[in-house]
Amino acid sequence: MDFCKTVELAYAVLPLRPFRDWLIRAHMERCPRCQARLLSREEAKSLLVGPDQVDGAEALWRRISGEAGRVAAVPEPAPGRGALVWRWAAAAAMAAVVAVTGFWLLREIGRPGFDPRAVAPAERFQIDYVNVGGAPAQTFVYQPQGTDTVFIWASRTPQKEG
Amino acid sequence: MEEGTKLLVDEQAIIEGCLQGSSASNRAMVESYGNLVLSVALNVLGNRQDAEDICQETFLQVFRRLDRYDRERSFKTWLLTIAYRRSLDMLRKKRRFTEFSVKARFEPAVAGQGGNPHPADPEPLPSKLLEALTARERTALCLWAYEGYTAKDISDVLACSASTARVYLFNARRKIKALLENDHGLLQNG
Repeated sequence: MDFCKTVELAYAVLPLRPFRDWLIRAHMERCPRCQARLLSREEAKSLLVGPDQVDGAEALWRRISGEAGRVAAVPEPAPGRGALVWRWAAAAAMAAVVAVTGFWLLREIGRPGFDPRAVAPAERFQIDYVNVGGAPAQTFVYQPQGTDTVFIWASRTPQKEG
Repeated sequence: MEEGTKLLVDEQAIIEGCLQGSSASNRAMVESYGNLVLSVALNVLGNRQDAEDICQETFLQVFRRLDRYDRERSFKTWLLTIAYRRSLDMLRKKRRFTEFSVKARFEPAVAGQGGNPHPADPEPLPSKLLEALTARERTALCLWAYEGYTAKDISDVLACSASTARVYLFNARRKIKALLENDHGLLQNG
């Protein structure tokens, strides 16, 4: 019984659903005590509503007979030739855009200017003057160690009071 | 001819008739499966009005998409799959509406509150039991109890693996049994 409780506890706390499912399935299928604590088919039937306990088919047919005649056996129209041509045209245009963009990117990357080694080293980075809102700004330049990335932070210079 | 085989032949004849647009076949289909779909929807939703709406939507979808039905599969399972998905959609809509109602601070004015408009019909699953189970567990329990569905059949309806369906069924049977054992007055109180 303690083992059953442990399994239930593990089921409640295990985060991964496949593990939880496997655990409960493996245990339930083998444990006669837990199987005895499962609802029987007869008990379930006494709680649920069965098809033989409802009488709604006649009323349902009265409600849908009109609409059923309209919707039944109406095959969905196949896409016309025009729609098909447009689909192919759109796909071809998309392929052309991708090809041209790819070609342009490859060409640009291949140029010497895009070679990272050709880019000026960060220590030679230089800013002469930074303006924010028409006034000289406080400017900070920061380069993380071991990278060629340079961050520039510029903010409005605070006005002195008085 | 055996009863099962006759039913199968009837079913195929009804499907064929529906595909031809025969009103008599449409009616025969509703009369053959209407109560089954209604009972499943009632057990999942717990409300007669909603269950009737789902029933109506399910059959109209079946008539509209019957040409897509794969004859290799069980027709009843296909039909119940549609009813189940429609029921889930309705539960989601109602949940969203309730959440919206709570946020907007007004009471929901639609379905779910009304009693049983058909006094001759049985009440669905008592509300405490209904709340204890998820929609998947309720569906699994209902199909197992009344239709004799196996975990594999249930998994076809719920669109999950057979082992997952088995877990839904275990959980449903375990939870309800525990509730019944802990609260003997549950059924009377509903």
